[in-house]
Amino acid sequence: MAKQYDESLLSDMLPIYYSRLFPQSLFCRWLTCGNYPQPLGNRELSFTLADDVYLRYLSINNQKELHTLFQKKCPYKLDIGPVYNTKPSIGRHDAVVLARELVFDIDLTDYDEIRTCCQEAKVCDKCWKFMVLACEVINTALKEDFGFQNILWVFSGRRGIHCWVSDHEARVLDSPGRTALADYMCLISGGENQYRKVHLGNDNLHSSIRRAIGIIDKYFNTILEEQEFLSTTDRLNSFLKIVPDEALRTQTQETLENMPSSSLERWETFVTIYNQYCKQNANAMRKIKYLVEELKIQYCYPRLDAHVTKGFNHLLKSPFSIHPKTGKVSIVFKPENAKNMKLNDIPTIHTLLDDSSKENAQHQANMRTAVKNFQEVVFMLEKTEAMRRKTEASVSIDF
Amino acid sequence: MDFKIKRKSTKSAIAGGLLETYPHDLQMYKLPPVGDISLQEFETLALERLILLRCLATATTLKGLRLYSEEWCDFILGDLRSQGIKYYVKLCEKSGCSTQDVDLQARRKDHIAHFILRLAYCRTEELRRWFISREIELFRMRFMTMKGDSVDNFFTINNLCYTNISEEEKDELIINLRESTHHPNIDKMKFYKVKFFEVLDLVKTRKVYLKGGYAYISHKDFISVLTAQYRVHLRQSLAIACHHLGEIEQDERLVSLLKGLHQSYTGNDYSDSKAVIPIESLDSLSIKSFPLCMRQLHEFLRSTHHLKHGGRLQYGLFLKGIGVTLEDSLKFWREEFTKVMDLDKFEKQYSYNVRYNYGKEGSKKNYSPFNCLKIINNNVGPGECHGCPFKHSDANVLKNKLKGYGFEQQALHDVVDLAKRGHYQIACSKYFDVVHSSNIGLGINHPNQYFEESQKLLKGDLKLEPKKDIKPTIKHEKNDIEEMDFDENF
Repeated sequence: MAKQYDESLLSDMLPIYYSRLFPQSLFCRWLTCGNYPQPLGNRELSFTLADDVYLRYLSINNQKELHTLFQKKCPYKLDIGPVYNTKPSIGRHDAVVLARELVFDIDLTDYDEIRTCCQEAKVCDKCWKFMVLACEVINTALKEDFGFQNILWVFSGRRGIHCWVSDHEARVLDSPGRTALADYMCLISGGENQYRKVHLGNDNLHSSIRRAIGIIDKYFNTILEEQEFLSTTDRLNSFLKIVPDEALRTQTQETLENMPSSSLERWETFVTIYNQYCKQNANAMRKIKYLVEELKIQYCYPRLDAHVTKGFNHLLKSPFSIHPKTGKVSIVFKPENAKNMKLNDIPTIHTLLDDSSKENAQHQANMRTAVKNFQEVVFMLEKTEAMRRKTEASVSIDF
Repeated sequence: MDFKIKRKSTKSAIAGGLLETYPHDLQMYKLPPVGDISLQEFETLALERLILLRCLATATTLKGLRLYSEEWCDFILGDLRSQGIKYYVKLCEKSGCSTQDVDLQARRKDHIAHFILRLAYCRTEELRRWFISREIELFRMRFMTMKGDSVDNFFTINNLCYTNISEEEKDELIINLRESTHHPNIDKMKFYKVKFFEVLDLVKTRKVYLKGGYAYISHKDFISVLTAQYRVHLRQSLAIACHHLGEIEQDERLVSLLKGLHQSYTGNDYSDSKAVIPIESLDSLSIKSFPLCMRQLHEFLRSTHHLKHGGRLQYGLFLKGIGVTLEDSLKFWREEFTKVMDLDKFEKQYSYNVRYNYGKEGSKKNYSPFNCLKIINNNVGPGECHGCPFKHSDANVLKNKLKGYGFEQQALHDVVDLAKRGHYQIACSKYFDVVHSSNIGLGINHPNQYFEESQKLLKGDLKLEPKKDIKPTIKHEKNDIEEMDFDENF
């Protein structure tokens, strides 16, 4: 085990991290592309310093200024804001937001009512599977449905993941557009007073939902077994609360309570009961046509923090920022590799800087991979941006 | 629109006759009207348009009719008829391209009235939103009632050309189209390809097939493209109109009229309260005088000592509205929150929030407490218990909660049943009556209105009398109409 992480050493470690390991140049290139046609200086950065001192409306014009700012302020946390029509430090409250990446924030705390392995800030490799699934569902929808190509996936530092879409269309999408997109993706809604949180109606299932269920099916049995959704009386009861049809509910309860506690077996039995019940009751069937799908979605589908996506100027933690509570680096990962990620392998600032630690070599290597992943996305973005500008220029010449 | 320019352009005379200017019953109001108009007609047209827009609002909120449903349309047409505004009935019922003079005159009135109200409603963001929402509803309703030929004409007149996708492309996608488009007879329809952001309302509700950033829509869905364009156009026009208000207001005759128009209906927004409510009384007040949404938040806070952002906003602003001072509010939240976190964390992360609600931080705006519509349309996520309990609760949960409050079987059944059928505000009104053992049947639009009515009743300012004699409530209904607004993010 590596040396325990000590938050108080952060102020000594961060300057070294920022100058040696933080990919400053790539970071600036990524933001510069994302700012076009505005200059880099119009982008808001915000720092959280030691003792939660909060600095907003910062900006940089180039990598050199970023470096100086890092050394001068030594931020514990680094957030990225929108692109304004003017330098954010001048405009402040009056500045108009012109662009920002389309962002998604998925946090495991939003899974607390269903995950059974951990709660709140805790996270383990079991509940990480929810993130793997979420990443796949959203990544596919962004690519196939919306045609976006420049998508960056980032580990949030503790218990979630972020997604940044840098395609031009996504960056300039207005608030109603972001809201519509977020609502398109959100299938789970409802608060403390609603047990049943997914309603698919009885019409055809939308292609995107059908596809999402296909993805869920790849993981469902594993998650079901690991999380043991149905194995205790309490969990079984919360499951039954979601079943809307009273007769079906009673029947399910009686059968499941009297069988072994394996969640997988209980689930399979439930599906059998459900199918039989639907055959016998064509009437009830209409109301619960997609019950099995609805349950799968409620237990597995991504739970987005929609506010973050909907807001034009919501700040979001930067890639390669350090999470002050865990010391973990917000690494960039490839969505197809998400399932191979182990939480313990995510580089931390103290192992990266301590070459005597056992994990040092592994973490160094993982950090290099993360930077390489970032690089790939940035190169790709620069290429598409260059092409887009070329077509735009030729179109305007035509006129 | 610019009034000055409009005046100047009157000199260059009306370009063409009414027939050229108004070829179709439905218009997108691209150009401002030109010509002279008497002050009296100006005023009449404005008021009639206002009646029309308010009628749309009433249909959805007070009557609880589903937007664009048949009953909804019928109610509006009926109301317009009974108010004697025949030309709007004509324009709304079945838009067409007739060339009769009556119709041309109706179109002219419609055109002018729309532009007058733009001037009255461009002043604040809230007024703009209300105006845009109503005008969009009106536009959609008129488009929906249009017959085939008129639709084609409308497209030609407005230069809307789209080419449908080829049969091969359609065949390739047919399964997806069938799955994702909610129309019968997909096979016979022509499909068109537009960028996804042109039909956001369809994207939002997952009623369109998306592929690679394009939405595949049938001709029936074109209303979405149109409304989206119309919305953008209105939004921009109102911003421009607002810029020119200064010039218009040099004419005193217009100032009094325009201001009167929107001011007479803005009503109370409950952002400043004259009364002072001590926080010690909140527990008892929550039982006697809080609407269920606030009572539930209060109880949740007392039991878990925490509320998520949405809840803090909804409850915090409500408390401000009933007269809890900033100092008391800070004390109240601090007392609860510090039971589960240390003081330091509260001061750093949450006290800002409280001061923000009172307009002491950030943009320093004095925020108004949420009205029912905003609360009903709120998104409620996991771990949150704000929103409207009549909408955002499972029937069973609501039942148990009311049972816990000692509701009798019949009353309980009535409330839950109303909630189930989607009449949230009426359910709330019923809840009010049960709690107060009254039979007033208030029209409830605002939690703070609920509170005030309850206090009045308890202090005896309001007598328990049969429904029709209660004047103040009716006044309230009218006053609050302006605030009732759908979240404009459709």
